[in-house]
Amino acid sequence: MDYFLVSLLNGLIYGLLLFMVSAGLTLIFGMMGVLNFAHASFYMLGAYFAYLLGRYIGFWPAIVCATALVGLVGVVVERYFLRKVHKYGHAHELLLTFGLSFIIAELVKLFFGNYPVDYHVPAMLSFPAFHAGPLAYPAYRLIMGAIALLMFGVIYLLLTRTRVGIIVRSAIYKPAMAEALGHNVPRVFMAVFGVGAALAGLAGAVAGAFYTTNPNMAIELGVLVFVVVVVGGLGSLEGAMLASLLIGLLTAFSVGVDYSLADLFTWLGAGDWARRMGGLFTLKLSGLSATLPYALMLLILLVRPSGLMGEKE
Amino acid sequence: MNRMPILSLRDVHKSFGQTPIIRGVDLDIVPGERHALIGPNGAGKSTLFHLISGQIAPTRGKIDLDGRPIQGLPAQQVNRLGLARSFQITNVFPGLTVFENLRLAAMRPYGLQYVFWTLIKTRRRITAQVEQLLEQVRLQARADTLASELSYSEQRSLEIAMTLASDPKVIMLDEPMAGMSNEETDYTLALIREVTQGRTLLIVEHDMNVVFTLGDRISVLVYGRIIATGTPDEIRNNGLVKEAYLGEEMAQ
Amino acid sequence: MKIRRLLLLAAIIGLVLVPVLLSQSLINAAIQMLIASLFACAFSLLCGQGGMLSFGHAAYFGVGAFATVHAMNAFGGAGLLPTPFLPLVGAAMGLVVGLIAGWFATKRTGVYFAMITLALAELLYALAPHIKGWFGGEAGVSSMRMPAFGLSFGSNTQVYYLTLAWVLVSLGLLYLFTLTPLGRLTLGLRENARRLSFLGYDVHRVSVLVFAISAMFSGIAGSLQALNMEAANYVIFDLQGSAEVLLNSFIGGVTVFLGPALGAALMTFFGYLVSDMTHAWLLYKGLLFVVVMLFIPRGIAGLVQSVTADIRRQGLARMAPSMALYVAASILLMAGTVYLVEMLQRFFSQDYRSLAALNGKGWPPIAVFGSHWAPTSVLTWAAPILALIAGLAVLRLAHARWTSILENEEGVQTLLARDSAAARGQP
Repeated sequence: MDYFLVSLLNGLIYGLLLFMVSAGLTLIFGMMGVLNFAHASFYMLGAYFAYLLGRYIGFWPAIVCATALVGLVGVVVERYFLRKVHKYGHAHELLLTFGLSFIIAELVKLFFGNYPVDYHVPAMLSFPAFHAGPLAYPAYRLIMGAIALLMFGVIYLLLTRTRVGIIVRSAIYKPAMAEALGHNVPRVFMAVFGVGAALAGLAGAVAGAFYTTNPNMAIELGVLVFVVVVVGGLGSLEGAMLASLLIGLLTAFSVGVDYSLADLFTWLGAGDWARRMGGLFTLKLSGLSATLPYALMLLILLVRPSGLMGEKE
Repeated sequence: MNRMPILSLRDVHKSFGQTPIIRGVDLDIVPGERHALIGPNGAGKSTLFHLISGQIAPTRGKIDLDGRPIQGLPAQQVNRLGLARSFQITNVFPGLTVFENLRLAAMRPYGLQYVFWTLIKTRRRITAQVEQLLEQVRLQARADTLASELSYSEQRSLEIAMTLASDPKVIMLDEPMAGMSNEETDYTLALIREVTQGRTLLIVEHDMNVVFTLGDRISVLVYGRIIATGTPDEIRNNGLVKEAYLGEEMAQ
Repeated sequence: MKIRRLLLLAAIIGLVLVPVLLSQSLINAAIQMLIASLFACAFSLLCGQGGMLSFGHAAYFGVGAFATVHAMNAFGGAGLLPTPFLPLVGAAMGLVVGLIAGWFATKRTGVYFAMITLALAELLYALAPHIKGWFGGEAGVSSMRMPAFGLSFGSNTQVYYLTLAWVLVSLGLLYLFTLTPLGRLTLGLRENARRLSFLGYDVHRVSVLVFAISAMFSGIAGSLQALNMEAANYVIFDLQGSAEVLLNSFIGGVTVFLGPALGAALMTFFGYLVSDMTHAWLLYKGLLFVVVMLFIPRGIAGLVQSVTADIRRQGLARMAPSMALYVAASILLMAGTVYLVEMLQRFFSQDYRSLAALNGKGWPPIAVFGSHWAPTSVLTWAAPILALIAGLAVLRLAHARWTSILENEEGVQTLLARDSAAARGQP
């Protein structure tokens, strides 16, 4: 029971974290048709900026500033880089964002070193929220989850209840029409890109303190975020939430499962044979938990290509 | 009509979600005829083309090509059965030369798509065929120009040539004159008349002069239904058609 | 045309003479360059010619490598095939895996396709260390080259010639492929896959074939690597490898057949040369890639092509001043960037921090390329920044001059074209 509760919470919170990063990505893709390879780099920059500023202005102010800074970086990327190659097509834009993610990772290594930095949760926040059996569940995890939920709520309300939100949604679905109605669509694009980046930065700033902050964060999370966005459906916010939670739970639960295919075969009576085969058969699910999201993505891409909640092409 | 129709649609319906676009179309195209399809914007002419050429499948109904059911078949199969279509917005290979464009189109009936053990230039018959096509649409001088660098009407000519390249039984042209000047239209009209000799043509056009001079028969599509089919004279005098579409213009 | 053939011949002769002319360590570098060039051209078949962006091509390179090492170890170490024929194993493995992976991946296009290839590679990278039988875990699998046909294959030189032979043959085959029906169809896939289906082609099947052929040649490249290293390790599946071939290909330029090979050769060569001198080599590579993507979309080879075309039309005399300006601008920009990056890299490095802490009284001077610079002095930072600003200014000047020459010519060209079209009777 404890294991279940802890895994559930971990999965949900990790999923919410994934959502914070993938929300921006899926909006940007739905709007501009560009899959921003550098999106996870914004996550990483958020963590590093927060680490840097935190030493001077305190933990929470640093998180706020880092978020704003990353948003600014996003705006610059859109305005001065993406817009330049828009005329060459989506493939070119994708390649450019790939190059940018590469550069950002190298710059981080340059300034901060090719090893993790000591960005940690401040002492006053690292207390246990409750005890699940022998485990002390960190309160900070719940704080992360709360921030993610709050963010989702704010975005959802912004998009559906405010005038700005309506303009943004119309720019996403029918940019030409929105422009014809007099809205400055390029500026909307820039703003959405910036906000999307800022969200990823916020996620990084908050999560980097708990998980490790190192130059490989972007790659590790980045591919996972793509999986989320593809599984959820490119352009769909609800899909991103669903997929994030799904993947979060899948990863969290499988980490503790020490069963393998051989165990399944035992149940069928062919356990010894399977164990002798070795290789894939004796691989424990817990060892494979990192690969499950990719397997899920491949499955979705083949069975339901538009994603769980995406629009059919 | 005592000849079996080469293309026949029976009670064809198509809805997108809850929205019905084609609401029961019956149409017979006689072999060798030039059949024009007209109708107001939004009537469903493009959708009908997509249904016949295999881009989308009908919600209900049958489409037969030369006696064979083709509804729901993918576009490549429909093409192999002898039906080729052109596109309203030029849909060629922009980064390749005119010659290459036509060669890709002409290659397919020779069954060469998976061949990587011979050099294509050794297949002289294909080269000869491409040169013949170039001559037919009067693009020989532009053979080595990139398709993206052609003038608009040259691109439309290329579009038509590519549709011809597989030697189809039925050729469907989707607004081939769109955006052309009078001079260009006359030229393209003569070209179409020439290249569709001995084939069946189904053409969608808005230019009424073209429709009434080129078409052997005309069908009028309004709100997803064919309200009239007949010779140009019959259509010109049809009350329903006048009311629904032609309005004051043709009444003069 | 003739010049190109002569250049090609000269290059081949040069490559044949490499072991005679260069030192042992440079022969090693040359082997790496050859392998990278083949991999880049194989990649470009799918990506540049077929228009299918693959972010996980290291997978096929890697399976070729592993298959080869296992083949080398077969029959108690005697090897499945004589050493010179082992790359066939890599080809076969690459082909088979390519067919399977390609069948799945090409069911989708564009970004989705790219994501599938990425997922497949990541899946392999994550699974490989667990399947110790095939991939040997953390340490990888190793072997030894066996003698064959009177050659020991123990020396660098012999490995070099084996690599050279395979790379030249493979590149030749890849080039011939572009002249075949399937090769022309590949271009059609890139230009307008949708129209191909309306022309009666089974686009999925064609895509799978192209994918598989690209994977096959990638497998040969991987195989050559395994022969060279006498080992294979699961890190070969890392995203880094896929990223590298992608960067190399686009820096070289995918619109020209040998463009990716050029890019790979240059990048490998420079990497070899400067990796001892700087820690920031990857950053430079990334910066170059982004610059190419932004300003030279057809890559270095494409740039050379268009520049030579312009020169041929305008005459060297007219273009020479602008060219000189461009060269000057490039030098200024590169110098400024390199200097700035090197200074920053050293300033922020762990070693320097420790040194400064030990020193006590402030920041000791930093050594860059032989001379020492004080980090607190304004000049240290102003110099590279000024170089960058100057470089940008010269660049703008060069660009203005170049385009003004071309624009004058273009106006005349368009008029002439219009006249001749009218004369032909085309509307």
